[in-house]
Amino acid sequence: MKGYRICFVFALLLTVISSGMLLVNPIIMSQIVDNVIVGQEINGVIVRQSDMLIPYVLLMVGFTLLRTGVSYGMIILYEKASQGTIYSIRNYLYRNMQFQDSNFYDRNRTGDLMTRLTGDLDMVRHTIAWIVRMLLDSSVMFIATTVYFLTKDVIFTLVLLVITPFIFIITQMFSKRVGPLYVDLRERLSQLNSNAQENIAGNRVVKAFAREDYEIARFAEKSRNFQEANIRSSMMWLNFYPAIEGLAQSLSVITLVVGGIFVINGRLTIGDLTAFSSLTWTLSNPMRMLGSLLNDLQRFFASAAKIIELYYHRSSIVNRHDAVSKDARFEGKVEFKNVSLTFGKTTVLKNLNFTVEPGETVAIMGSTGSGKTLMVSLIPRLYDITEGQILVDDVPVNRWELKCLRKNIGIATQDVFLFSDTVDGNIAYGDSSLSEEDVKKYANLAAADFVYRMEDGFDTIVGERGVGLSGGQKQRIALARALAIRPAILILDDTTSAVDLETEKYIQHSLNSLDYRSTKFITAQRISTTQNADKIIILQDGKIVEMGTHDELLQKQGYYYEIYCLQNEGVKITSV
Amino acid sequence: MARNKFDVDETLETPFSLKHLKRSAIYIKKHKKTMILALCFSAAAVIASLIDPLVMQRAMDYSIPQGNKTELLLLGGVLICTIALNIILTTLRSRMMVRVSQSIVYDIRMDLFKHLQKLPFEYYDNRPHGKILVRVVQYVNNVSDILSNGIINFVLEIFNLIFILIFMLCTSPKLTLVVLAGLPIFLIILFILKPIQRRAWQQVSNKNSNMNAYLNESIEGAKITQVYCREDENMGIFDRLNRHYRKAWMKAIYSSNLIPISVQNISTWVLGVLYIVGVLWMAPDALSVGVTVGTITAMGSYASRFWQPIQNLANLYNNFINSIAYLERIFETMDEPVTVDDIPGASTLPEISGDVSFKDVTFSYDGTVNILEGLNFEVKAGESIALVGPTGAGKTTIVNLISRFYNLNGGQVLIDGHDISKVTLHSLRSQMGIMLQDSFIFSGTIAENIRYGKLDATDEEVLAACQTVCADHFINTMEQGFDTLVNERGSRLSQGQKQLISFARTLLSDPKILILDEATSSIDTKTERDLQQGLQNLLKGRTSFIIAHRLSTIKNCDKIMYVSNKGITECGTHDELMAKQGDYYRLYTSQLSV
Repeated sequence: MKGYRICFVFALLLTVISSGMLLVNPIIMSQIVDNVIVGQEINGVIVRQSDMLIPYVLLMVGFTLLRTGVSYGMIILYEKASQGTIYSIRNYLYRNMQFQDSNFYDRNRTGDLMTRLTGDLDMVRHTIAWIVRMLLDSSVMFIATTVYFLTKDVIFTLVLLVITPFIFIITQMFSKRVGPLYVDLRERLSQLNSNAQENIAGNRVVKAFAREDYEIARFAEKSRNFQEANIRSSMMWLNFYPAIEGLAQSLSVITLVVGGIFVINGRLTIGDLTAFSSLTWTLSNPMRMLGSLLNDLQRFFASAAKIIELYYHRSSIVNRHDAVSKDARFEGKVEFKNVSLTFGKTTVLKNLNFTVEPGETVAIMGSTGSGKTLMVSLIPRLYDITEGQILVDDVPVNRWELKCLRKNIGIATQDVFLFSDTVDGNIAYGDSSLSEEDVKKYANLAAADFVYRMEDGFDTIVGERGVGLSGGQKQRIALARALAIRPAILILDDTTSAVDLETEKYIQHSLNSLDYRSTKFITAQRISTTQNADKIIILQDGKIVEMGTHDELLQKQGYYYEIYCLQNEGVKITSV
Repeated sequence: MARNKFDVDETLETPFSLKHLKRSAIYIKKHKKTMILALCFSAAAVIASLIDPLVMQRAMDYSIPQGNKTELLLLGGVLICTIALNIILTTLRSRMMVRVSQSIVYDIRMDLFKHLQKLPFEYYDNRPHGKILVRVVQYVNNVSDILSNGIINFVLEIFNLIFILIFMLCTSPKLTLVVLAGLPIFLIILFILKPIQRRAWQQVSNKNSNMNAYLNESIEGAKITQVYCREDENMGIFDRLNRHYRKAWMKAIYSSNLIPISVQNISTWVLGVLYIVGVLWMAPDALSVGVTVGTITAMGSYASRFWQPIQNLANLYNNFINSIAYLERIFETMDEPVTVDDIPGASTLPEISGDVSFKDVTFSYDGTVNILEGLNFEVKAGESIALVGPTGAGKTTIVNLISRFYNLNGGQVLIDGHDISKVTLHSLRSQMGIMLQDSFIFSGTIAENIRYGKLDATDEEVLAACQTVCADHFINTMEQGFDTLVNERGSRLSQGQKQLISFARTLLSDPKILILDEATSSIDTKTERDLQQGLQNLLKGRTSFIIAHRLSTIKNCDKIMYVSNKGITECGTHDELMAKQGDYYRLYTSQLSV
């Protein structure tokens, strides 16, 4: 809320002023009626101050203009303050999310996170722009009227106020009951959001399995749940509404009966009673508002809790206080020392030891789920290791400033994620200052020449996640994206699996003739991809089982040899 | 149509017309009875509340001056009754309307969602998903109130207005004209503001949609952002979108709030003029012109009462203009043409044996460049076909056409002699098992994900499918086995593992025609070999189309088709094609690592 406080305080001030001003026009009006129209009887002659009519009317019109001007200004200030607040909270939340670790993204569904930045924040906006204003407005009115009543007749006022504690008790009870309902409602909204979001993202699978009816039924259920929760919370309010409303309205009955008796007994004049009865609404209105405001407030609490949770969620992977950075390009030396990684109780990587010199190429092979991707994700510190040390340029990765470390690493992940941007924008994702020629150069290196054949060339907009492109095409764009940042360490995680063989040969050639030095980690299934590496690492259940060059591993006649034979079945092995 | 990006506003082609309102009426009609009843309740409540002032007046004028305590108490009793009646009626109305408004929301949302399920791939491919999402959830929520309570309140206020108008006319027709003189001014202001407001709220919805789109993508692509250190730049983009939204909102607020303000001012002017005119007309001997002190005071209070409903109507109107911006978008999505749909009178495809034939198939994605031209081939039930060829040659397109994900531009695709464009989509696709290039994982347990292929599969069936594709091993090593929670985005499944899961899912659906599009690209060679052996039995009696780059996968197929140049250039068994020494031969030899 910082920066918008002045705005807000000013708005609050205007609220007080404008609700005070609300009382002025009726006074002018009664003046007109009393003095000009009805006139005053002086010595049996009715005197009407007709000459005062025009000034009075002008005063009334002018005053209304002023009052509405003030209240317009007030509304704008409230909106400014609330928009400003959610603007900065939203920015902060977005920023905070950007830095969360993989753990966070494993746990939270996209739809839920989206709910927090949209629906929940809207509730905050509503609170600032509306609830607070109304709360203040009501209190000012209530207090002002109470004071006015007190000056007239203390006992009468106290009789009127007798009901206030009851209203408080009832609204409190209501708040307590409705609170959990709103938490539930919010949760269901989030589920609805998640369900719709996944349905949209997975639309291809839905169609492929002709599961539209199933999806509709599932969504209907979520939609129904949301509907029911909505009805439940509204009904809860309606259960309490009669009591609150009844109490508030009983004020006019009290005024009539008690006031009437007081007049009969001579405690009050009939004029006083008229004044009271015309003002009872200023007392009863705040009372009935209290209920609905508390209703909204409970809703706000449900949302605020979710926002706060995200606001204060901290990534476990952050810069250390003694983090080091370096401006110069990394050499690209990578060393694993006794590295182990455990998730929960499962050890997924065990005791990895190896050193890669700058400029070397390391190929990593192994069966599905053996930990290849995890192993390479440790280099840019996507996960923190449980044991051992990973050194990049002889500095442990957790001592490097994250940004500095990651800037020097280019990754093409297995699960290719492209953004709904132009091809050009996607390739230049890591360095948006990249010139058009450079984008083309890297696209050429990654054999993404198919882009030229697309209708808008490099300006073609790629659908979200790269839909509309074939697997191989996506992979090549992702590769160009990784190459474009000219990283000292290049990690290619199964980047060419969907690329045809001729193209792959071409890519290998360009990788070998990059115009910058780069240590390369390549995970792959095809021998043709891995055979020319300086070092081949075979992972099995998180352990290194074989390590060496192509020839060394063939001679070993282990896993690598087996794969080699499988892939070259029927072809004589001549080199060994 | 050009693809939409997160920072491009979606233009709305159709201008707003009464058509939208008529359409909304469909949803309201269902609840006509309840709404009329609710309206009656409200009207009764209003009438009951009109008794209150009469009671007060009676007390002030007679009971109290006369010191009649019993009558006073009696009047108090009457007041309690009317208040109670009022509250009961209002509560009943609200209870009814809560259900109505929620049910309208539900209906609109389900219709929208059902329509979305029918929309073709292109629809999803052509816009950021966040923009679709925002319509289904937020927008629908936003229109609920105006379509239920809004309508009732509108009718009530109109009644109110007519009621007071009659009272005024009875009191003084001349002064009524004075009160009504304010209306044209108000209408002019409304008329000037309307287009501004409408555009402003459309902008709000646009900017909201843009922000949502970017947000959605940012969450999905968070990992890439991190490894490319793009956080700051993304922050900048998001900040821009966020600010645009704020700006659009404030703009809408500026113009929207002018309306109540102008109503208040106009009503004061009217009151002022009323007093002046009234005093002028008030003859010294009051009765000659018919304007008396009483008339003026009465008209004064009527005038304020007359403008109150107008003020309320103006607020309703504001909400209405706001909701219309969302309603337009919802209907726009519902009007999105379903390009691939059952033809009228489509028959159900009977259980197939799996013959597939393409006859003169011509296909183009955009209507200009043909991807396939005059393609002809025939596959007998039970055969396994490998499709090979350069990336982008149309292998995926061919298999997509078998499932009728797209309509042909020419020719026919026949399954067991049935033209697939003439059978229902559901009967067609439910007999095929399609494994797509990207294996989408829904959030839920692994078992649930596999069961997506056959919703009522037993645990044994699920396990058997996993064993066939060799996925049981890694699933069992996970902490919670089949009950391990996974999600679409971040879960720790590797690409290969995801492929195995979606493979198991496909097998479980027990398809007659199996389509594997790069299904095993990320699976290691050894697992793949084991998997192949398991598959061999399973593939018996099923037609299969396999797209792969790994030759070991291809070689075992009955027939290999080389796709390039808008059609199939080579077709035959591995040995035949090798002997031919053409494209396939070149491809094959290039992969050999020696």
